[in-house]
Amino acid sequence: MKCILNTGRTVPQGTAVEHKGSDAYRAVASACFLNPVDMMVLGIEDGARIRISTPTGYVVLSARSAEGVTRGEVFVTIGPYANHIISSETHGTGMPDFKSQTVDVETTEEPIRSVGELMEEIGGLRYDRK
Amino acid sequence: MIVSDVVCPFCGCLCDDLELEVEGDRVVRVQNGCSLAEATFMHDTRLPAPIRRTESGWEDISYEEAIKETADILKEADRPLLYGWSSTHGEAQSVGVHIAELIGAVIDNTSTVCHGPSILAIQEVGHPGCTLGQVKNRADVIIYWGCNPIEAHPRHMSRYTTYATGFFVPDAQRERTVIVVDTRRNDTAGIADEFLQVEPGGDYAVLSALRAIVRGKDSVIPKKVAGIAKEQLIRVAELCKNAKFGAIFFGLGLTMSRGKYKNIRNAIELTDELNRHTKFVISPMRGHGNVYGSNEVFTWMTGYPFAVDFARGIAFYNPGETTAVDILRREECDAALIVASDPGANFPRDAAAHLAKIPTVVIDPHVNATTALSHIHIPCTAAGIDAAGTAYRMDGVPIRLKKVIERGYHDDAEILKKIYDRLNGGMGP
Repeated sequence: MKCILNTGRTVPQGTAVEHKGSDAYRAVASACFLNPVDMMVLGIEDGARIRISTPTGYVVLSARSAEGVTRGEVFVTIGPYANHIISSETHGTGMPDFKSQTVDVETTEEPIRSVGELMEEIGGLRYDRK
Repeated sequence: MIVSDVVCPFCGCLCDDLELEVEGDRVVRVQNGCSLAEATFMHDTRLPAPIRRTESGWEDISYEEAIKETADILKEADRPLLYGWSSTHGEAQSVGVHIAELIGAVIDNTSTVCHGPSILAIQEVGHPGCTLGQVKNRADVIIYWGCNPIEAHPRHMSRYTTYATGFFVPDAQRERTVIVVDTRRNDTAGIADEFLQVEPGGDYAVLSALRAIVRGKDSVIPKKVAGIAKEQLIRVAELCKNAKFGAIFFGLGLTMSRGKYKNIRNAIELTDELNRHTKFVISPMRGHGNVYGSNEVFTWMTGYPFAVDFARGIAFYNPGETTAVDILRREECDAALIVASDPGANFPRDAAAHLAKIPTVVIDPHVNATTALSHIHIPCTAAGIDAAGTAYRMDGVPIRLKKVIERGYHDDAEILKKIYDRLNGGMGP
């Protein structure tokens, strides 16, 4: 299903933002909110894993039903999950398309990666000493 | 110990009425703050000591070693990028600008991926704004456009708008009309008197339609504009024209969606149009605690608010070219110093990936996503928690952040001064 990716802040994202290695942050940053009708069309329930892809790449997220999201739109909190698939093109403004990226949404059985795994995929090395 | 009149450094509201209970080096209770403030003060876990990435993992290093290696990295670089600056005080930001000038670096702040487009629009058509005190005491019509204060600035409505008692608005909840424009029916929309659910990417068209209606040209408006009925647009335009004092607050829903800075320009021009009928103001909902301060400090030191390139020996500014995401996407920089921010989490993947290919140094109190992409991470104080300093509220009012506890960390301004000294042969900025 083709959708427009919208991103933004949420309170749970803000409270966990300085704890990016935590399970709490992973849960809020990897949640993807969809219109309930779109979830019905995809044949999925709350908590199902979905694969969101763009020409930049793909990321696996956890689907959440949200009445406030219109059909054809998906909402993901700002952070490394959404940014994993957003293009770095800025059209000469310095600002990437954080709210207008067209994405493909499909169901998947793949696991949701951690923030550390996402960073390691782009050449990083996670630091997880307590 | 109770510390009162504490400023929360988390978001651009910089609420200055917090009361904290402090036990030793810990904050154990936060009064008056929102849940973001509580998390900021009470769950403040830090990186204990500087770390360096090795072939197989991470090793602890001393501050002296970390500072020396950082200076060496910056000295050897041809095109260093200094990025971040929004979660620290003006004192650290100004040392950052001095380093950029000294070594011919590009220095950019986080407004590049939040309200950078708002600044571009303001540079085109100006900023009819005011302080939040004026809004609190006078505004009877509030518009939140492409922003969700309940989630992102939780006390904005109780301190300045919907629920705030003002001098000329004594019964705020009855006397203030709240209009919300967004693609999502978000929590803020739930308390709005009028909610305009615009189709994604349709903000520019809706702003243009409102401008036409305010001008008296409603006959040219089609039945629906980007999903919003003409009748509702006319009703909203009338509400605005009949306001005693109107205030538009806009967020990243305008700066990041299609049209970017042109959306903001259109919103400012709508404000201009409304001022032919009544008093109307417009202001961005700035996100990071001191992101406005980074624009102020950069501007009074270099003439430009963000994306400043010193490669030519003078300050040069060309957003789209000298902005951090573009420099990283083009793989142009060969070293990076990241201060008080997390581009690893907040930049698109390709831009963040370049940080792992070059020597990147992070100076930040917390382990974040950029830590994984860095070569060295130096922990420091957090402005407003264990360091005092100046920060600018979202309406441009400078506020002194307090030091409420001592945790034994070095101030980031001090770390940056030591780096500057090494780069300048022992001479301070």
